[in-house]
Formats: sequence, structure tokens, C-alpha cells
Amino acid sequence: MSDVGEHIVTEPEEDEVASAALQRSRFGITGEVIALYAICVFVALAIAAICVAATGGSWVNVYTAILDGSIRKPGRWGLTLGVSAPILLVALGTVVNGRAGLVNIGQEGQLVMGSCFASYVAVRLGGPGPMVLIIAMLCGIVGGAIWAGIAGALRYYRNVPEVLSTLLMGTVAQNLMGWGLRKPWLLLAPAAGRANRNQVSEPLNSHTRIPRVTWFGNEFPISVLVALVLCIGVWVVLDRSVIGFRLRMLGRNPKTAQRSGVAERRYGIGAMLVSGAFAGLAGGIMLAGGDFGNYQLVANFGAGIGFAGLLAALVARQRVIVLLFVAFLFGCMRTGTGFLTATGVSGRVSDVVQGLLVLSLLLPPAILYVRERRRALSATSTRV
Amino acid sequence: MTPAADHRAGGLPDSPPAAEFVEVSKRFGRVVACDHVNLALHRGRIHGVLGENGAGKSTLMKMLIGLILPDDGHIRIHGEPVKIVDPIEAARMGIAMVHQHFSLVEPLTVWENVALGDTGRLDPARIRRRVGEISEQYGLEIDPDDRIFDLTAGMRQRVEIIKCLRRDPEILVFDEPTSVLSPAESEFLFAALRRVVEDQGKAVALVSHKLAEVISASDEITIMRDGKVVDYRPTAGSDPATLARAMVGRDVVLRREHAAFGVIDDSGDGAAPVKQPVAQQGQPVLRITGASVTGRDGRVLLDGLDLEVHAGEIVGVAGVEGNGQRTLGDVLSSLCPLAAGRVEVGGQQVATGQAGAMAGAGIAIIPEDRHDSGCVLDFTVAENIFIADPQRVARRGLMNRAQMNGMASELIEKFDIVCNGARAPMWSLSGGNQQRVVLARELSHQPRVLVAAQPTRGLDVGAIEYMSSQLRAAADNGVGVLLISTELEEILDLADRIIVISNGRIVGGMRRDEVDIAELGLMMGGAQ
Repeated sequence: MSDVGEHIVTEPEEDEVASAALQRSRFGITGEVIALYAICVFVALAIAAICVAATGGSWVNVYTAILDGSIRKPGRWGLTLGVSAPILLVALGTVVNGRAGLVNIGQEGQLVMGSCFASYVAVRLGGPGPMVLIIAMLCGIVGGAIWAGIAGALRYYRNVPEVLSTLLMGTVAQNLMGWGLRKPWLLLAPAAGRANRNQVSEPLNSHTRIPRVTWFGNEFPISVLVALVLCIGVWVVLDRSVIGFRLRMLGRNPKTAQRSGVAERRYGIGAMLVSGAFAGLAGGIMLAGGDFGNYQLVANFGAGIGFAGLLAALVARQRVIVLLFVAFLFGCMRTGTGFLTATGVSGRVSDVVQGLLVLSLLLPPAILYVRERRRALSATSTRV
Repeated sequence: MTPAADHRAGGLPDSPPAAEFVEVSKRFGRVVACDHVNLALHRGRIHGVLGENGAGKSTLMKMLIGLILPDDGHIRIHGEPVKIVDPIEAARMGIAMVHQHFSLVEPLTVWENVALGDTGRLDPARIRRRVGEISEQYGLEIDPDDRIFDLTAGMRQRVEIIKCLRRDPEILVFDEPTSVLSPAESEFLFAALRRVVEDQGKAVALVSHKLAEVISASDEITIMRDGKVVDYRPTAGSDPATLARAMVGRDVVLRREHAAFGVIDDSGDGAAPVKQPVAQQGQPVLRITGASVTGRDGRVLLDGLDLEVHAGEIVGVAGVEGNGQRTLGDVLSSLCPLAAGRVEVGGQQVATGQAGAMAGAGIAIIPEDRHDSGCVLDFTVAENIFIADPQRVARRGLMNRAQMNGMASELIEKFDIVCNGARAPMWSLSGGNQQRVVLARELSHQPRVLVAAQPTRGLDVGAIEYMSSQLRAAADNGVGVLLISTELEEILDLADRIIVISNGRIVGGMRRDEVDIAELGLMMGGAQ
């Protein structure tokens, strides 16, 4: 404090020195972060390799199979993209509710509801194929949105924690689908089309399916492109628009938001509806896209895609563009599993790899956060 | 000049110091918080430690109770050099501190709070009896079975004091004890302190930035500035002007500076004359009638509150903390709907509790707790400025960041906000500068009413001066200003008209030029 005068005199020089130091440290920090991620991923892969080796498999074969199955063999890119699209959609929705400070962990159930709504409408509605398809997808969106919206309404009108209600509503959705798949007037396919199998829905008509395109020998449904466009749309809305600004405000400080004209209920429930809508659409395209079964609902149709999307959003830490890569990575883990059987190692190994990878991607942010906190703390105690 | 030499010169009775700082220094990074401080606390005396915010007085006391270790120098207790490593050690040596912010568990009773931290078997009867003994001995009347949340700030402080006294400490430190008390409660506190010192021969340190209270309550005064002891003198015979000069290092002339030090100037003939009250004619810009709010737990927070603010006047809402000020602020921030009554701005009724309605009607607010409802700490300074009207820097729903940062930079310059540019995160700013961001935003909307709730709490003299002049300027520009404050000095300094809030209603009021401090105090205390 006594060196105020001195400080003013030396200010420009000090500033230059400081900014140079900042530049340096910024490069240093980036390098540090990359190194941290690399180490964590490497450790995760090594642990997974040890697990495989310990159970009598060959880890080289396992990793080769996963790479072959996901990207290396011809045509696998298309499949991986097709699988990644619903993961990306679910994750996009999760980012929306995350920005509003809400936790939605029931995407799996919302996705299931979306697929049920879509299936019910698609097999019953007559008319031109594309129109039926679009209406079915819209119904899927509505189904998912309703399922998440209930949790949102409970949160804002009855103070029910949305963490609990979304998760539990997920279980309800799974069982509802199971029940619907036993009732011919709901989802169960007519006996003729079932070939003695119970609990399947009627497959979509060939003209109400999502068209597939082939690029460079890779075939995938055009819903992949839709997901990409939506991704850009979500990025613009969340990061550039007034609505996104207000949503973030609600997430960071609800009271300030309320005073500034962001009605908590409207925006909060809105965010939940959008989040559920994305999960519902994901369910719809899984049904009509063709990469998940035979265009029909079966028991356990969700296949954990809802949870994969939730994880992807967690790993990407709500950054929309990063989601693209994470969702693709998760897609790879799934399609890679297809080639595992040849190695004689259980397909579940890829779940282990995936779990370890997620952990390894979640650890660095946590480590960085703790260090940042410490730095900030030491900086503030300097100010006392 | 050592304290010891000086107090001999001052003619105070000599006694071995109960606690003594010898050449104590503490640095935080480049900031020197305490710079070779010498200070002695004697048994049977109240030692006032005066200084502005950041002068180093709190750091010094934290070293005494073991929260901070000195870098240099040492502390002596009864002449013995000691190392106080933590508060438990300090308690063992008989040192206790009553902190500025209470640490009480609200749903628990008085005696339960007193018993907190005890080990071994709980003996409720014994603790109740002890609380009774202490309260009788020191005149700190309290019911051991009352629950904390039913108590006023003054009563809560009694609980804190009883917590300290129960361990029978030799040395007591009070950190800014009157910041939440009414004048009457403050006087009561000092009377109790006097008893503690005279009957029990305890040594008391009274840390404060309020000149007036230190002069009235202490026996000797040490003044700190920029981490150094700049003056030490017996209280008898010192005059406020000299002390104020020592505190800030220059002459203090403005009334609002006097107010910042807690000097009540009720004569009205200070350096700046009291402003003639604005003629209250025509329609008030803000009118609240019959406002009632009941809390979730069924407590009545506002009970038929009525008030009016006219354009160009500053209305000060005086009152002891916890009498509905916070709820009043919440209502005017659209955070809380009214159960009954109405709010009108310029004759138009405004919906209460509806997001953005108050702001939209032209009510600007500097909230009591800016982190709670005034700003978003994770947003940038620019984002915080455009929180309420992002549309101003948006086209077709998309925000133009460059434009936003540009306009924010102008405000940053205009309001002299010290920060790392418009894109600096809000949390990186100091409290005073965060407050300026809030002020800049609220005033940039051309409000009709400006509500300032405890606008200078936690700010230093410079920042207080700035805030005061901004409020004054707003009123001069025709804005109706509602100043809600528990600091009576602040209200006396700024307000044209003073109203008193007690138990959720306005119990009375008077014009600034006809003010009667004694009567104000009575009203604040709840007397009708």
C-alpha cells in the first residue's frame, strides 16, 4: 500500500512483463491440460488392458477389434455415425437443462417414451411416407417433452427435486413400454407379424423409415445430418442468443434472473421440455433410423443410449461443440463392441473401457477445478 | 513512541498488560496488513482500535485469537511471549472474540447454542443455570429457552457475548460489534462492557471504524492506517476531528465522511448544510399501501406497510435489522409477492412477485446482498450490465458481443470501475467495484425510483463517499430514492425524510431538518 506512488511510475513496464507472463502461462496451461488428459486416458486404457489380460484375453486383439469395428473396417463409419446421432441428441438436451441449473438424469425414460409415441403413430397413420415419418418424429418429441416436463412442473410447483423425479419417471417409462408391448391396442404387433415373438411392436413400413444415404461407402440415415444441424442450432441459441443468456442467468443466479425478468417457472420448465424433446427425438430416430434393431420396439429398446448421452454431456461439460467429438467417441465404443466376439472376449469389456474412459475424461476437469480454487483462494487471502 | 511510554504520559493508571503485540508484522503477498505493530491491552480497560476498512485491525485481532500467525514479532500474554497457533489455544489462554457476524444455530435455543462445542456429557440444567448467572451478573437479560430465530440482532449478540463470558476469559475482543444494533442496543452493549471491565477487571479490545462509539466507550485509543499504528492516546480529551484526521491521513470535512465514521451530527450545521426538503407535491413516484407478506414459516414479515416516495427526494428507512427491510427490498425486486396491499409506480399498479415487473416499471435497486440478487458472479462485467435488457445489444434475438462489450466499456469508464475490462469475470472485482457495476447498470436504465438497500455495507470510506454522492445525484436528477439502511448515520447524512420500520410496518417518520435522535431511537426500538 505504501508503494502506490512507485507502482504508478513503473506501471507500463510492469504491465508488459505481466502480459508476457500471462501469455507464457496461457501456453503453459494449455500444454498442462492436454498432458493431464493424455495421462488420464492412457492410464484408463492401461487399466482396461490389464483387466482384459487378467481374464485371459489378448488386449491387443481387443483394442484392434474396437478400432476395426468402429472406424477402420469399410462401412463402419456409417454405422458409428448412425449410433452417435441419438447420443448427440440426448446430450444436446442435457446441455440445455444444465445451463438452466437443472439436473435431468431420466433421458433413458424420455427416449423410451419418445420411441413409443413415434411407433404408435407411425404404424397407424396413413398417408404419404415422409409426412407420416415427420409426424411420428414430432410425436416422439412430444412424448419425451411430456415425460421431462412432468418432472419440471413437479419441481417448480411442488418443490420435488428433479434429480429424483426424472430418474424415477425413467423406470416408469420402461415399464409402461413393457406393458404397452403386451397390449395389441397399444404397441404389440399383430400376431401375424410377430413370428412367435412376444413383446415386439409392428415394424415401420419401408416408406415411413428415415432415408439412408451412402457417402464414401458408408451408409447412414439422414437423421445424422439433422442431429448435426440441431447441434449447431443449440450452440447458436445457448451461446449467442438472448434466450441462452437468460437461461444461463437462471442457472447461475435464479434471484438475479427473477428480478431481471427471467421467470423461473417459464424458463425452467421450458428447459426441461426442450431437454425431454431432444431425448424423445433421439428415441424416434432410433426407431426409424435402422441402426437399432429392425425398425420396431423391443423390450429394453433404449439400450442405454439415454445414459450414454447424459454421460457425453457430463464429459463435454456442457460445451456444445465438444459434444460432437464426445458423442462420436461414445458411438465408436458401441460399434467397436460388434467385432469383439471374434476375439473371444466378452462384449462387456467395451463397457469397462467406456466406463474407464469416462472416468479418465472427468478427472482432469476435477483436478483443474481444485487447483483453480486453490489459486483463487490464495489470491483472495492476499487481498485481505 | 511505544504505547507503554505514551500511556504513562497520558496519566492512565499503570498495570501489567494482559496482552501485548510486540513489533508484529503480517504480509499477504505484496500487501502489508500489519507493519511492526505495538499495542497493549490492559486489565480493567477498554482499548479502542480504530481504522478504516483494510487498515489491518481485523488481521491484528485474528492473530490474537490464533486464526493467523504473525510473520514477524510476537505476542505476549501476561508478559510471557507465546505462540498462538489456533483458536483453541487462544481459548486456553483466556482470549475470546465476539465476531462481527454471528455464528449461532437459529433453530436451537439460547442455552443449546451456548453449549455447542462442549465435550463430554451434556448437562442442560447446569448450562441453563450458568446462562442465568451470567445474564444477571452482567445485566444481559435473556431467556435461556428462547429460540435464536425469535431474537433480535441485539439479543443474538447477547448470546454471543454470553458464549464468550461463560469460559471466563481474561481478554475479550469485540469486532465491529454495533454494525447490526440500534443506538439503544449499542448503548446497552457498552454499558455491559463497562461492567465487565470494572467488576471483573477484564481487558477488552473494541475494534471499530466508528469514531463516535469508540470515543464514548473506550479508555484508550489506537489508530491504525495502512497496517501501521499511527496514533495512540487516552480517550479522555481527544476530539473527533483529530482522530478522524489520523484515521484517513487528511482532514475530514464532508458530512458524509463524518457519517462514514459514525459521528452523528444532529445539529444540522455541519460543513455542508442540510438540504432543504423537496416540496412534496403531486403524485408520489412510488407508493406502497398496506403491503403484507407472510413468510413460509407463518411469520409476519410485512404487516400493512405504507410508504410514499416523491420525485427528487431521498427517503431513509431507518430501523433495526430484521424488521422487514429485507422483505421490503425483495418485494421491490419482484422476488416476493404481496399477500395484501399494492405497489404503484407513478400511479400505475405494478404486479408483485412477477419476474421483471418492478424493473420494467422503473424501479432500480441496489440490493442488500449483491451476490444474492444483484449480479451473477460467473458472468462477465459486460454481461452483468446487460442482465435486465440484453435486447439492447441484440438483433433478432442474437446478441452482439462486440457491441455489448463496447457499451459496457463506456460505463466502466464513466463509473470508474476498476476491472480488467468488460470481459473480466464479475468475481474478479472487489466488493466496491461490484457495487459500482450494479449501480452503473441500475442508473443506466433511467429509473423513476432507486431503492438502495444497505448500499454501503462492507465498503470503505472512499467507496461510501462515491455511493453517497451518486445517490444524491440521482435524487437531484428527479429520481425518487428509497434508502433502506440500518446505519442511522447514513440515513441522517443522506435522507430528506426519515421513516422508521419496525415489525414490518412504518411506525413513524420525521423530516431531516426536524429530526429528533432520541425519538427516532425510541421508534426503532419498537416504542409506538
